[in-house]
Amino acid sequence: MTAKEKSSIYPIFGVGLSLFIVLFGLITAKQVSSLYFLGGTYLILLVTGFHKACFRIIIPVLIVSSVFGVLTYLINQSVPSAVSIVSRLLAIGIAVIPGMSIRPIDLTRNMNQINIPRSVTLGMLIALNFTPLLSREIRQIRETMKTRGAGSVINFKILYRAFLIPLVMRLVNISDTLSLSVETRGFTLSGKDYSVYKTVKPSVKDFIILLAVVICAVTAVIL
Amino acid sequence: MENKKLFQKYKVKDIVFLAIVSAVTLVTSAVMPLVAHVPIFGIIQIVLGIQFSMFPAIGLMKVRKPGSLLFIAVFSGIVLVFMNQIMFFCLALCAILAEAVTLIIFKSYEKDAACFMAGALYLPLSLPFLYVWYKIVGGTDTVASYANEKPLLAVIMSLAVIALCSLGSFLGVKISKELEKSGALKK
Repeated sequence: MTAKEKSSIYPIFGVGLSLFIVLFGLITAKQVSSLYFLGGTYLILLVTGFHKACFRIIIPVLIVSSVFGVLTYLINQSVPSAVSIVSRLLAIGIAVIPGMSIRPIDLTRNMNQINIPRSVTLGMLIALNFTPLLSREIRQIRETMKTRGAGSVINFKILYRAFLIPLVMRLVNISDTLSLSVETRGFTLSGKDYSVYKTVKPSVKDFIILLAVVICAVTAVIL
Repeated sequence: MENKKLFQKYKVKDIVFLAIVSAVTLVTSAVMPLVAHVPIFGIIQIVLGIQFSMFPAIGLMKVRKPGSLLFIAVFSGIVLVFMNQIMFFCLALCAILAEAVTLIIFKSYEKDAACFMAGALYLPLSLPFLYVWYKIVGGTDTVASYANEKPLLAVIMSLAVIALCSLGSFLGVKISKELEKSGALKK
């Protein structure tokens, strides 16, 4: 999701929705109705603005759940066990969709609005935003190892000296620069009042999505 | 001897470092979903053992304050909130327990051994927690059922997890000490 796009759902509702999908999916995993619920929820998300995340997630989730479903069937010779595994994996995959459509900054603003401590919101924002950057850093260190002809990371000495030490050094440097940058912008952890310039508010669409998913769950239970 | 408070205030740089450590723990744990449904007790902890002990130990060596491990658990759990909420609560609880045990024994994180112990205890504590949780919830394809079906394998896996986490925590302390010596890592 690009920086200019808006989150597809009110962030706290998104977290709640993910929680509901996973829990309902796990509780009803052994019943075929679980698949109806998950299919219905996927369609609801698809038509209510989550289409990009839906398209990105569906192929990997289908591949992984099919592989584990087939393996479980071959090992246990039991269709309910295979359905159970497939439902669980689909539930986890579909639950990720609302999370993928929430911008970390919106989640942070939302958490600030409901008075969650700033130390927690700052840490969460960094942990979410810096994950891709750190993947790049790790790749760069591996590239440097190749350039230096350091050999394979399977060798423990090489792993320690040429990979782990530079990685931790980079973490310390990034952390020092970032904390300086955060402090320069006037960010403090003290309990002083602060302004949230862009507030995040729930819309009618958010309530409709929640209601539709609940109706889908009730229908699956009745069926 | 200076009488220091047990609970010290966090600075912005502490939170930033702990968040960065959490992010790198997450990045290096990306392989976890591939083994999550392998029917062996403790397989997830085996895969995550080194990362979930080494990086928290590094975090504790720099930010030697009670609550650091809990911060790491919460920050690294933010991604889990969207896919495995049980694991999120499990990690938070394990962090609290590991900190409590360490602080009862060592009183603070001043000694390197305290950082090692907290790092080494953090992930292995999730084994009994998940076992008890799935025992209560029930079911045939759960962590508890895998352990009940093959108890010997469960014991061996648990010992392997403890060994891996001890190794990871030891590595974390060693790396931090080396960087402290060179002046790169300041407390």
